[in-house]
Amino acid sequence: MTKPKVATVWLEACAGCHMSFLDIDERIVDLLDKVDIVYSPVVDPKEIPQVDVGVIEGALGNEEELHLAKVMRENCKILIAWGDCAVFGGINCMRNFMSVDEVLKEGYVNTPSTVNPKGVIPGQDLPALLPKAIPVDYAVKVDVHVPGCPPDADTILYVFSEILEGRMPKVPVDMMRYD
Amino acid sequence: MKEIVLTIDGKSCHGVLGDTILEVAQKSDVYIPTLCYLKGLTPIGACRMCVVEVEGNPKMLTACTTPAVDGMVVHTKTAKLFSYRKEVLELLFAGRNHFCMFCSQSGDCELQRLAIEHEMDAVRYPYLYADFHNDASHKELQVDHNRCILCLRCIRVCAEKVGAHTLDLEKRGWSANVCADLGKALGESDTCVSCGACAQVCPTGTITIREFAYRGKRNQCDDIVESVCPLCSVGCKIKAYVRTGSVARVEGADQEGSDGGQLCHKGRFWLPQSTERERITVPLIREGSNFREATWEEALDLIAPKLQEAHNRNRAAALVSSLCTDEELAHFSSLFRDSLKLEMLDTFDGDVLRGFMKGFKPFGDQGVRPFTAAHNILDADLVVTVGADPQEEAPVVASYIRVAAIKNGAPMIDLSLGEPPFDALTDHHLPLTVVPNLAILVTELRQAGEASDKGETVLDTYRKLLADTAKTAGVAEDIIEEVVKALVASEKPIFVLGRSLAKSAKMVTALGNLAIASRALFSDGLGLVPLVASGNSLGSINTVVGEKAWLDDVKADFFYTFSTGMIPEEEEALAAISRSRFSVVQTPFWVPPLTNLADVLLPAPAWFERSGHFCTIEGERRRLNVIVPPAAELRGLSAVLEGMAQRLGVKLGRPETAPCVNAFKSEKDPASARMVTL
Repeated sequence: MTKPKVATVWLEACAGCHMSFLDIDERIVDLLDKVDIVYSPVVDPKEIPQVDVGVIEGALGNEEELHLAKVMRENCKILIAWGDCAVFGGINCMRNFMSVDEVLKEGYVNTPSTVNPKGVIPGQDLPALLPKAIPVDYAVKVDVHVPGCPPDADTILYVFSEILEGRMPKVPVDMMRYD
Repeated sequence: MKEIVLTIDGKSCHGVLGDTILEVAQKSDVYIPTLCYLKGLTPIGACRMCVVEVEGNPKMLTACTTPAVDGMVVHTKTAKLFSYRKEVLELLFAGRNHFCMFCSQSGDCELQRLAIEHEMDAVRYPYLYADFHNDASHKELQVDHNRCILCLRCIRVCAEKVGAHTLDLEKRGWSANVCADLGKALGESDTCVSCGACAQVCPTGTITIREFAYRGKRNQCDDIVESVCPLCSVGCKIKAYVRTGSVARVEGADQEGSDGGQLCHKGRFWLPQSTERERITVPLIREGSNFREATWEEALDLIAPKLQEAHNRNRAAALVSSLCTDEELAHFSSLFRDSLKLEMLDTFDGDVLRGFMKGFKPFGDQGVRPFTAAHNILDADLVVTVGADPQEEAPVVASYIRVAAIKNGAPMIDLSLGEPPFDALTDHHLPLTVVPNLAILVTELRQAGEASDKGETVLDTYRKLLADTAKTAGVAEDIIEEVVKALVASEKPIFVLGRSLAKSAKMVTALGNLAIASRALFSDGLGLVPLVASGNSLGSINTVVGEKAWLDDVKADFFYTFSTGMIPEEEEALAAISRSRFSVVQTPFWVPPLTNLADVLLPAPAWFERSGHFCTIEGERRRLNVIVPPAAELRGLSAVLEGMAQRLGVKLGRPETAPCVNAFKSEKDPASARMVTL
């Protein structure tokens, strides 16, 4: 039997969830005996291939992220949302109280530490911001929610183990956290 | 009370008629999740977390507000209830902006705990992202409305327990919001007393105490120790949270008690803040304008002969703080009074206590306890404040007064020379000088009402005295008459006596008369609440406080002072200490100017490192517990006194603490109290 393939993607978030994943420490060796990580911030390919398990860290804040979430959904059988940003929107939602124009102005012009005398707001060649930063399941169907900022390494490993056992995981109460 | 039996989750649960379903369940340890409910506050069924199913009723009912009926069959854990409660939680999360990752209360939050308990791994409803403001205008409290779930606990505690009624609800529907003073920022509120009760009861991160956010969350604390606040005469029960060997936060402990688990701003903020103050750690001996470190033996060897010398010339004096426990005061009195027969011996607030004691004595001699427990104010139908500033002297007593005025509709009368303390609530204000006549007027008017001839003869003298009193006091006759009528009409009046009254024992006696005339009678004594100075003022009457004042012109050769460093020392005391030739100060903290006056400075354990008992004006003996163990080299008052006794070669008698009731025994029914001539 071939090993199940896993793809993980880091969208609008701090990479903390991926760090927490690496915090499973030496147990990653056993895990890699059982799965192939074929797409991830820590491996090379540029396109998301067809996989068994897709993982999204981060909220969706711009069109590229929205696109990647959709591709991930299409290319995977089970989609996992890792962390508070992917599950609830997280800290990215702080901008949801302003319009996109205001957000850009605040970020590139008004902030006291910004030096931008011409008031240039970058737009060309950059993905446009969505009207609001949204949790992943606003855009695509999510099969497994793993809240936490970040989720504990044990929780992340537990979710993979359950899938390897052929069960659709649900984070148990004693592992659930929102911070 | 009629007993009722309910079947809850198949278990037979007992309660009494009048209990709610939740109360019956809790008595039998059946867990029902709650959020807006808080023991001691009026239940309002706002959050719908406590819904249960009752057989025969198609609706889900809120357990916290539904009266339990005998024979009810209740289910609290069905799948339907679980999913309904989960939906409620998801709606709460979607309605406002609850982001645990950057919330100071994450881990302490009841909303978070319940969501996890209900397996909420995502929110199925779209977030509103409604922008609520974050009110940071208050010095200590932070109100982030984004995290509010409108449980209204804060509003209820503010109205029902603190009586300030600062907080209320503004607007409707999605925009409904907690507001202060009809829409002001909390920091600009005129009515907020900054007690922090709202933050203590807030289940989420909405109302928080900024300082406690960095001192540590409740769930980061290693231990919780119950103790008592020593700062004023009320002696509120506290829960102290210990984190890494320090008091991280202090909360009111007695949620179901009369104070409703509230604390005042002093208890809540001063107590934990005191852990950060600079400590005196080793004995210090003065050398010129500096101190040098010394061993305990060296310091005591220096002190003892000085005390002996001064004592031989009858020029030794000792002052102790009445924030000390009964046990400490007994030790103090055992050495200085019993063994050394020192005449100059007192507590810092000795004058206040002597004033009250002298004034109360005629009633005490009758076998009647001349005062009552402070929380009886909550039962009063008329509150008279006399020369008092309760919000400053004993803030929780001020809460009692406000609650009596708001909840019982008790009219308020202030007798004082200055402005009335509760400006908006005070109905009548008269100068203090009318008190003696007021007692006679009340007696006469009551007699007239009870007399068979309609009291015409009594009324004549009454009218004459009324006119005289009005003239002398410079107040309109009808105002005095209104006060007299209110006192006659009242069935349970209570008098709150401020510290300033202690200056005139005669006035205190006159108030005793007025209380008897007005039939201010409670089961434990006359309806007077004296706001004595500090935590164990009543206890110090039993042990330390002597007959005579001596502080004024004294020039002692030796002056021993024990201060807890928690409240500033009186000017007169400081002056007397500075006049002395040799001064020993034992205190936990560097408290200038007192520490500047010392020739020898001795360290002491702080309030959180000591234990013992306090006699409080709540009519209870309450226990101070060690919250954090003191450093090994620290010696308490008792150890120092024993060290001195040893060096002086005197035998220390077995220090005995007297029970609080000894101060004024209640041997007779207060109704038997008779007015005395002034």
